[in-house]
Amino acid sequence: MEKNKALKTRLLNNIVWILLVLTIIIIGMMDSRFFSPVILGNIVTQATVLGILSFAQAFAIMLGAIDLSLLGVMSFSATSGLILVRNGCPVPIAIPVIFFVGMAIGLLNGVLIAKLKAVPLIETLAVKLTLLGAFLAITSGRAITNLPPSYKWFGQGNIGRIPVLPLILALVFVIVYIIWNWTPFGRSLYAVGGNPEAARVSGIKVDRITIMAFGFSGLLAGIAGFLLSAYTGAVTSTFGTSYDMNNIAAAVIGGVACSGGQGTVQGVLGGVLLLTVIQVGLQILGVSSYYVQMINGLIIFVAVLLDAIRLKAQQS
Amino acid sequence: MNEILLQVENVSKNFGSTKALKDVSFSIAKGTIHSLLGRNGAGKSTVVNIIAGIYKQNSGNILFENEDITKFSVYERQEMGIKIVPQHASVVPHLTVAENIFMGIWPRNGAGFIDWQKLRREAALELDRYGLHVDAKATVKSLNGVDQRKVNIIRAMHGGAKLIILDEPTTALSSDERQELFVFVNELKAKGTAFIFISHYLQEVVELSDDVTVIRDGMAFSGRGKDGFSEKNLAHLITGEEVKLSQRTLRKDIEKSIVMECKKLNGHILKDVSLKLYSAEITGLVGFPSSGARELCRTIFGLENIYSGSVTINGKERFHVSVPDAMSNGIAYLSYDRHREGIIKLLSIADNISIPLLNAELKTSFGLFNKKKALDIAKHYFDLLNIKANSILDKLLNLSGGNQQKVVVAKTLASNPNILILDEPTIGIDIKSREEIIENTDRISTEKKTSVLYLTNDFDELIRIVDRILFFQDGKLMRDIRNDGLTHEDIVRIRDEVKRASMQKTTSYIV
Repeated sequence: MEKNKALKTRLLNNIVWILLVLTIIIIGMMDSRFFSPVILGNIVTQATVLGILSFAQAFAIMLGAIDLSLLGVMSFSATSGLILVRNGCPVPIAIPVIFFVGMAIGLLNGVLIAKLKAVPLIETLAVKLTLLGAFLAITSGRAITNLPPSYKWFGQGNIGRIPVLPLILALVFVIVYIIWNWTPFGRSLYAVGGNPEAARVSGIKVDRITIMAFGFSGLLAGIAGFLLSAYTGAVTSTFGTSYDMNNIAAAVIGGVACSGGQGTVQGVLGGVLLLTVIQVGLQILGVSSYYVQMINGLIIFVAVLLDAIRLKAQQS
Repeated sequence: MNEILLQVENVSKNFGSTKALKDVSFSIAKGTIHSLLGRNGAGKSTVVNIIAGIYKQNSGNILFENEDITKFSVYERQEMGIKIVPQHASVVPHLTVAENIFMGIWPRNGAGFIDWQKLRREAALELDRYGLHVDAKATVKSLNGVDQRKVNIIRAMHGGAKLIILDEPTTALSSDERQELFVFVNELKAKGTAFIFISHYLQEVVELSDDVTVIRDGMAFSGRGKDGFSEKNLAHLITGEEVKLSQRTLRKDIEKSIVMECKKLNGHILKDVSLKLYSAEITGLVGFPSSGARELCRTIFGLENIYSGSVTINGKERFHVSVPDAMSNGIAYLSYDRHREGIIKLLSIADNISIPLLNAELKTSFGLFNKKKALDIAKHYFDLLNIKANSILDKLLNLSGGNQQKVVVAKTLASNPNILILDEPTIGIDIKSREEIIENTDRISTEKKTSVLYLTNDFDELIRIVDRILFFQDGKLMRDIRNDGLTHEDIVRIRDEVKRASMQKTTSYIV
């Protein structure tokens, strides 16, 4: 009984990897082109932006919140950097500005949620709508193109024969892994997400942890915005919209509990790879974009069901 | 003997290879109170869940009014009159008393909508009938703990309860509230309702029960000895061994020094509280809810604000204290509410114990989390407090209540405090665990010269462990008495005297 339960819990916590392998096998059987180095390279490259956004989202979900503002933060911060570049600002200065704008908006989210006790879902929705509006107003809906090569290198370049993007994903993964597992802040994140009152009585500065978590979330969204604009070489009015809700699905499928306080960085990465494999697979198989939309919806559905089943398995 | 209402006949239950219940039999007569006792994890909840229909037994029968109800679902059994009133009052706090009583069975008018007038009218009648004098239109959250529990019971009665299962109904109640609840339960019993009463407080079990069944290692034992029930006999049955009640090893020879001084402290509830705490001394706190006893604990620890006055810790006078402040000055606090403020259910034992130390001992010189040390500390307290689990990596939600409480104690001790504040450290846990916690408190106060503030409503426990007792009323410190052979009755008497004195004073101010 005890053993069975432990096995079941382990299985449920690692189900993302099983799903990933299954998906790869199924898609590969339907079209063997899937295993070509080009396609596999494509997958890790495409996984980068979603991956960094999902880490951003995971910081919020760990606290039991959902950050809807990520798309807004990502487009707004990328745009502010690009406008600087267009006006002659050197790229090495513009890039940190993008990160800084992202982090500043994240910290603002954090302050409003921690200090004013604003409901995260609605507060971040307001920020998202405001920023997307600002983004459209600033660009008048027109695309920003002609980015300098030094900027685009981060999205399109290679180091040796390896594309830059997946390297950045790996780097961010390692950093987030260290933060969650090896810093007092990371361990506090688990405590605050699991039971904020108990964390407070244990001497953890709950407000500070919340603000920091949203700060990281915003910073990562800024990085994602930078990488996506460098990858596509432009910022258009539909910038990043395909990542809007997928980041929530990736984090939750990867095992971050919607109720907070539980999850691993590896799991989130697994969720990201699974979703990317499905996206790329659907493209290769030539599935109509109408179905792709529906399948995305179903994936979120699966994510939330998995979350519920995990919770139930732990409590029984 | 009254007519038999419920019979549990040779019930066994296995969870996988674990035998949770072995051949359990007992019966409950109409209009009686039958207590169910046992250590955490002994099988009490399994018995209750089988009676309610949540679990199905592997063998044996459950007869209710001479009918085998094994096949019936939870809902069918509720219809028949078996109702559970859970440990934490299951009421919707923002709704009115009337709505809570009629939830799910709202009276309807001709068009099928809720008939609000009828609902309020009938609720008022029900409240009157069962002698609960509150406004049916009041929200439940405005009621005190005992009244909320009564609303729960009335709700069960209104649904046609014949057998009500009260799962630890007194845990969060003061001793006076307990008495009030017992009067209420006894009145219902006189009218023919039967109760299964689950509690860890032997004294109230002896006082209230018509019959007692003790569950130990999945087996049932009758609590009735040659001469009825006695606390000693029941304690013996529950643990299967003689439980030695711990006693403070009061050492007069230890040199004491002042570790904390409060001067004219005003804060939430607190009024002009001045006192000194000494090393190696255990100070008991007594007072009704909102009297200032608990508030003192929480203010010193920084959970409540100081309005005026000061607290001197480590020779430094402070006019404001925050929790991290208090902790870095060697104060540790164990909250009375384990679920809300103590444990993090989804985290492991090791993680829970490490939380208060994250920004102190467990931070390496690079500012990183020292995982190895965290595991070492957790292992040390795991062994010291005899926590029952597979390993320190078990999640708290898989532990029994008593062991969860031990984790909270471990967490509090792990910071090696100079001042240890224990706010109901033994609430809702079995006798063996309770005695272990008391013993450890005694030991560290002697060995490490820790100053302890000890708050409990179990006065028998209090007089065994404390050196002196502070009595609180209306936010004021009223008495400071040495515990030289005080009895339970002495404590109650002094507490009530203090209350009367305070009330007279208040009246004279008005005049």
